Amino acid sequence: MNSNNGNGRVWNTASGLHLKNFYAPEDVPESHRKHVAVPPGESPFHRGAYPTGYRTKPWRIFQLSGFGKPEDENERIRFLLEQGETGFIMEHDRNTGDHCYNVDHPDVVARREDVGLTGAVMQSVRDIDICMKDLPLATSYGHAGGAVVQHAPFALAGYWTVAKQRGVDLARLPGTGQSDFFLTYLGCVTKQQIPTRDGLRFNADIMEFCDKHLPRWVPVSIAGYNGADTGLNAYQELGALFANAVEYLEEIKRRNTMSLENAARACGGVNFRASMDLFEEASKMRAARLMWQQLLERRYGITNPKVANLRIHCVTAGSRMTYQQPLNNIVRGTVMALAAALGGVQSLGVSGYDEALSIPSEHAHQMSVRIQQILQEETNIQAVTDPLGGSYYVETLTAELVERAWEFFDEIMEQGGFLASLDSGWLHERAAENQSEDFRQQESGEQVIIGVTDHKDDVSPFDVDGFMGVDDAYDVALERLHEVRRTRYEKGASQALGALESVCRDGENIMPAMMDALAAEVTLGEIGDVYRSVFGDWATPIQT
Amino acid sequence: MSTAGKRILMAKTGLDGHWRGPTVVAKALRDAGFEVIMIGMARPEEVMQASIDEDVDLVGLNIGGHVDVAVRAIGMVRESRPEVPIFVGGVVPPHAKRKLEGLGVEVYPPGSQLPDIVAAAMRLTGAA
Amino acid sequence: MAVSQLSAQDTDQLLERARAGDRGALARLISVLERGGDAAASVERGLSSRGAGGYTVGITGAPGAGKSTLVNTLLGEALADAGRVALLAVDPTSPLSRGALLGDRVRMHSHAASSQVFIRSMASRGQLGGLAVATRSARRLLEACGWPLILIETVGVGQVELDVASTTDTVVVVLNPGWGDEVQANKAGLMEVADIFVINKADKAGLQATRRDLESALASLPAERRPAIVETVASEGRGAADLWAAIASHREAITLSGELASRRQQQLRAELHGLIDARLEAELDQLFASGAADTHLEAVAAGALDMAAAGDVLLRELCRRASAAIAG
Repeated sequence: MNSNNGNGRVWNTASGLHLKNFYAPEDVPESHRKHVAVPPGESPFHRGAYPTGYRTKPWRIFQLSGFGKPEDENERIRFLLEQGETGFIMEHDRNTGDHCYNVDHPDVVARREDVGLTGAVMQSVRDIDICMKDLPLATSYGHAGGAVVQHAPFALAGYWTVAKQRGVDLARLPGTGQSDFFLTYLGCVTKQQIPTRDGLRFNADIMEFCDKHLPRWVPVSIAGYNGADTGLNAYQELGALFANAVEYLEEIKRRNTMSLENAARACGGVNFRASMDLFEEASKMRAARLMWQQLLERRYGITNPKVANLRIHCVTAGSRMTYQQPLNNIVRGTVMALAAALGGVQSLGVSGYDEALSIPSEHAHQMSVRIQQILQEETNIQAVTDPLGGSYYVETLTAELVERAWEFFDEIMEQGGFLASLDSGWLHERAAENQSEDFRQQESGEQVIIGVTDHKDDVSPFDVDGFMGVDDAYDVALERLHEVRRTRYEKGASQALGALESVCRDGENIMPAMMDALAAEVTLGEIGDVYRSVFGDWATPIQT
Repeated sequence: MSTAGKRILMAKTGLDGHWRGPTVVAKALRDAGFEVIMIGMARPEEVMQASIDEDVDLVGLNIGGHVDVAVRAIGMVRESRPEVPIFVGGVVPPHAKRKLEGLGVEVYPPGSQLPDIVAAAMRLTGAA
Repeated sequence: MAVSQLSAQDTDQLLERARAGDRGALARLISVLERGGDAAASVERGLSSRGAGGYTVGITGAPGAGKSTLVNTLLGEALADAGRVALLAVDPTSPLSRGALLGDRVRMHSHAASSQVFIRSMASRGQLGGLAVATRSARRLLEACGWPLILIETVGVGQVELDVASTTDTVVVVLNPGWGDEVQANKAGLMEVADIFVINKADKAGLQATRRDLESALASLPAERRPAIVETVASEGRGAADLWAAIASHREAITLSGELASRRQQQLRAELHGLIDARLEAELDQLFASGAADTHLEAVAAGALDMAAAGDVLLRELCRRASAAIAG
């Protein structure tokens, strides 16, 4: 036995897998050894999605960004692009966006100072147009926002409408949305939102629409990140993410309106979290690619290498950023980014060092970009694909994560599938168990967080006060809302809204009507009202 | 004194549904013997109404947004139930923390440990 | 002032204010009733002269059936009809810590700040049967304060909660599609308490099967006593109007038939029984805590006294103490 060190402490990974003192060839499971010999870019892809790795395709530097008025967000995005960001993410204000409320909704009015704190307020295509001013739509890689499922059709249609108005051919437009179930129904449950089965319909509608009109767009991005940052451990994050993918694929299969391969390709751009357990997190990315290949081949008979190679966007764990001694978070961000790079991800966002205090300041944002540039340009990490491949430890851990993750996947299936596990609160329970265990370990000293549980320091010599954005976002948004209502072609807007409502009721694809509604300057809150009357509210299984 | 029958109202002032922190805190308070009444995302007037109807001994606010929204909720609770203590947790940047502490409200930012929060609840409700 | 230190004069004043519409006073009185003891008894005395003018609807069903969401939509219907509604929502107390998480209000945002709706979360505080110790007296307090309609949402412990039937005028039992086995297993209990069945989440698979199971279980009842079955999708507000209509029609039927009067009589009987039960229990706890049982227990352990005889002695002592407490 070599799992203990001299003083009896048991060493585990963050997700609780037991670790030995060192690993030897015989530790790598027999069934996994054959994969190790396969080069990157070949099935089963656990060694990498592409043969030449970062030599030909450095990971995309892709930061979540946004606050204030659309022009404030536009300025920040352009700042990030100047700093070397290679894609951009348009974040919408969560108060209005996630809930599909206009700023004059009583629930928003009651919290007017919060408006614009986490993203720009965009209530109509006019606002989205301001936010996208001078952005390189055709050449860069854009994320239209719409992380929450009910908000995604609006955010996407807004982005596409503006692109069209600028003469960009949608068939050539690159980019992505998110429309993520983990955020919407697990990690950050909004006050009012459409039920899960209607959310599934929206996502399948988006997939179909992109299949027809936007082949270069990644329509949905399943974000295990949001499950992990709510408490799911590494193998639970993996298992749940693929259970989610199955839900989308089964829906497309039922509809039989697009090829299953195209649907799989559409689902194959996913989002994982990188946290602080360096080798477990790097192994997780490798395990994810292996599992995707296995899932597609075993369940759907799909072996096309252009579909079976999972592409991963990774974000470093916001929940691991500490309020105390915030500059320590620059180091944490670097370690987590390293884990992601060693795991071979295609795209990366590093949480701001002030994450636990506020949205990122300009400096924190710049730092997140610099961390990635330093890793890319100064460490030679891009020279060799899958640098951890063949490590007895990492291969063993990869195989173990795969095994545990499939077990968790099976548990979800026994619950009736991913949607059922959300509706019943089963998945929330799993996350909550881990949350409590985390706190217990911090109290007992098993889990150390520098500056929080140990080496506490009341006075930080480098005071970081948290960035609070601008203070006129609400007033300007209200003014602009009134202006849209006053100056739009009212008959066209009300017809488009009526058409959208019938589509919502009839079950046709929602996206064409949504595009028409955005073009007719229908506002976010009007669309939300349609949702609320047609779909009602999800019976959330959690109490807070 | 004990926590038996002591009631704590827990509300979120923002429209941000992250529940990781508040849920763990609510469970810890329950395990310490408190009756914890959760009302989720609530407007200031809803916090006030619940603090009256539920006859609570302590109000806990989770703030995920601008401090002014919390300040408004605190003001409304104080107006109708001036004797009830209030504590606050969540993403509270230092300047907001100073502002709230200036109002006589205890603040527990991220990284606060559960035993400290439970001890504060016991002290504020007179259970300890 | 702490609830435990209130004098009879204080509670009388609170009651007067509560009856004049002061919600803070009403809320405080519920706390007094929950805590029990002399102050609660004095509130009870104050309530005795008030007639019971309200109507009470109980909503029961297993956890996860969607009771809170259903109640939220029902509040809307009830408000339109009765003008003002009070809700007592009971959740379980943890037997280990004696703490509780009371989360029903999360589902009731539409009515959270309305002056026409009074919502009170109650922890069961060790009481089995789906209600809290003070639910019955809180109901009478609300009636005395002029709330015309009171909804009581039970704990939902997963089995039929008989107490709700002896506390409310109309009992609504909430089921979900696919619960055929539960219907079979609890057939007798369900039939005994339910005035109306709701199949909530009626958009889920298994609706027809559950409806059939229910109908066949009810087939043996005479038509006029057969509970209505209402289908709802509470999360979308669907079926709430039907449910409210079913409640109104049940109310009308039992009022006309005179059954309401006999139910009220049964409620009083159950409440009196419960009250004596609780006081005896408290007295018994004190008896053991005082050490009065110790010598008898030792004698039983030594074989000098049998269990039944020890019980007789202590029961006599209990009755003596109870009488003394009343006289004192």
